[in-house]
Amino acid sequence: MVRVFAVLNAVWRATRRGQGSFLSIGTNNFLIFTAYFLRQTGTVLYLLIALLLFFPLSADPLRKIPRERLVLWPLERREWWALRILSPWLNPIMWLLAAATVWAVRRAVTWQLLASVAGLFALSFLLSDLGGGAWDALARRVPGFGGLLGELIRKNLRQMLSTLDFWLALVLSVATTIYRIADRPAPPEALLMMSLMIMLALSSYAQCLFGLDGAGGLTRYRLLPLHGWQILLAKDAAFLITALALTITLNPLVGLSAALTVLAIGHEQSVKHLKPQVRWRFSTGASLGNGVVQVAAMFIAANGVAGTSVLLMIPCAAAYAVSVWWFGRRLS
Amino acid sequence: MPDAVPTMISCRDLTCRYGEFVAVDCLTLNIEAGSICAFLGPNGAGKSTTVKMLTGLIAPSSGSATVAGLDVVRDALKIKQRIGVLPENLGLFEDLTVEEHLHLTGAVYKLSSADTKDRSNQLLRALHLEHGRHTFASRCSHGMRKKTSLAMALLPNPQVLFLDEPLEAIDPVTAKTITDLLVTLSHRGITVFLTSHILAAVEQFATRVVLIRKGVVAWNSTIAEVPGSLEKLYFDLVESPAVEDLAWLGSSQS
Repeated sequence: MVRVFAVLNAVWRATRRGQGSFLSIGTNNFLIFTAYFLRQTGTVLYLLIALLLFFPLSADPLRKIPRERLVLWPLERREWWALRILSPWLNPIMWLLAAATVWAVRRAVTWQLLASVAGLFALSFLLSDLGGGAWDALARRVPGFGGLLGELIRKNLRQMLSTLDFWLALVLSVATTIYRIADRPAPPEALLMMSLMIMLALSSYAQCLFGLDGAGGLTRYRLLPLHGWQILLAKDAAFLITALALTITLNPLVGLSAALTVLAIGHEQSVKHLKPQVRWRFSTGASLGNGVVQVAAMFIAANGVAGTSVLLMIPCAAAYAVSVWWFGRRLS
Repeated sequence: MPDAVPTMISCRDLTCRYGEFVAVDCLTLNIEAGSICAFLGPNGAGKSTTVKMLTGLIAPSSGSATVAGLDVVRDALKIKQRIGVLPENLGLFEDLTVEEHLHLTGAVYKLSSADTKDRSNQLLRALHLEHGRHTFASRCSHGMRKKTSLAMALLPNPQVLFLDEPLEAIDPVTAKTITDLLVTLSHRGITVFLTSHILAAVEQFATRVVLIRKGVVAWNSTIAEVPGSLEKLYFDLVESPAVEDLAWLGSSQS
């Protein structure tokens, strides 16, 4: 069993490091602001977030050890079984399930709910082995755009798709759209609010645009004969396309003005402080203060465009253009 | 009198410091157009740092350098349009496929779509990458990633090629293809500046050898001027193999 515990120790260290990425909750605009504004009525929303948050965590911890390495170690059959049985307990979800089981026995939680949660956990555990293929299939569907920056935009869109920010925004967008299609009249204020919620979900990503490029990607940027503003523009194009696509059925003008504003403010952090991000997690913003400024400006700009005049898009676009020029120079 | 061969890479007292540590110390070099310069040394000697300074990835702490007659600091963007680089970390985007990397390169270097497609197909065939053209970089083997990065360096038809360990982690057939290709490119006037640890291979095709040790040039000559074998010169001037007994290896005790 010495070998089993040695392997479990390594898996535990790797799992614990991975969980560090959940600290993104502390500097993610959406999570901070919804926690504040919806602290009374946001139960369903938080269940949704919890599902998105815990789904990647529900992977098999043993996968932290490269498969090739694992099969090369001289482990006996009984040691394999011991690893198989013990390693899931390094996953915090397993302990939550165990606690739920105790509550179920005491009837605090129904057996049906417990079975559903356990089923979901088991499914995600199994899916963690199939995830790569499914992601590849989805990533291949991202269209190319041609032109000088087309492939970079495609790559940036794929990166956005691999963050939980996008999927949360998508769920909000689809849910609101279905609500509208179901012939339920929604007041313009509600559509404005939902558009802003979608942009709030995406806004932290605008503070860490280069977070998923990795060392190799950043090296390539430095080698390409492109100006800094062109590289920034390719990043922003992916963000703007996503923002427009998610708000087009609600209030696209609000979506666009909010996107331009969060990008204009987010460029500083994206360019000056390259903060590596983890895929399938919420984006980690630079700081709480930066997030507050970004969200406040976004609300003011979007409310102005929706409530006062569409012409207020002009200062939003101007601020954005200045930001691309200034921080593009810095990037160069 | 034969025409003087123009200098394509020139360094004068090029230095790179990381705090107190001097990675490259007063490097002075002149590399003629059309030559294949093998820049050799142990890990941490300053080879990759030199490549990074010459390709604009990092700024020199002091000294100056020109590539294709352009200053590496002042004319960084112009230089990028004339060079092809295989960087140390390969410089690939995990979210693009092998073929998409080549399309990106073609677009950024302003090649027409037809040219990009033609050159991409030829490079994929030459480097035995056709089977993996639709594979994402994140799913490629190290060899495939290296070949992708090399194809990106070659696609825009650069004047100067900087290759950081192009022959390492490559299968023998592709290694032979690459060395033959480099010789052909050199005959066509393209300058190649490469780092490597495979001395026997480098000795076969390099025209100039520079040995670097602890950031300082220990040897700089044409390959013809190397006395005896390159390996012997390397062991004599740069580093001899460590002799450690490791008596426990092969003993009955596990």
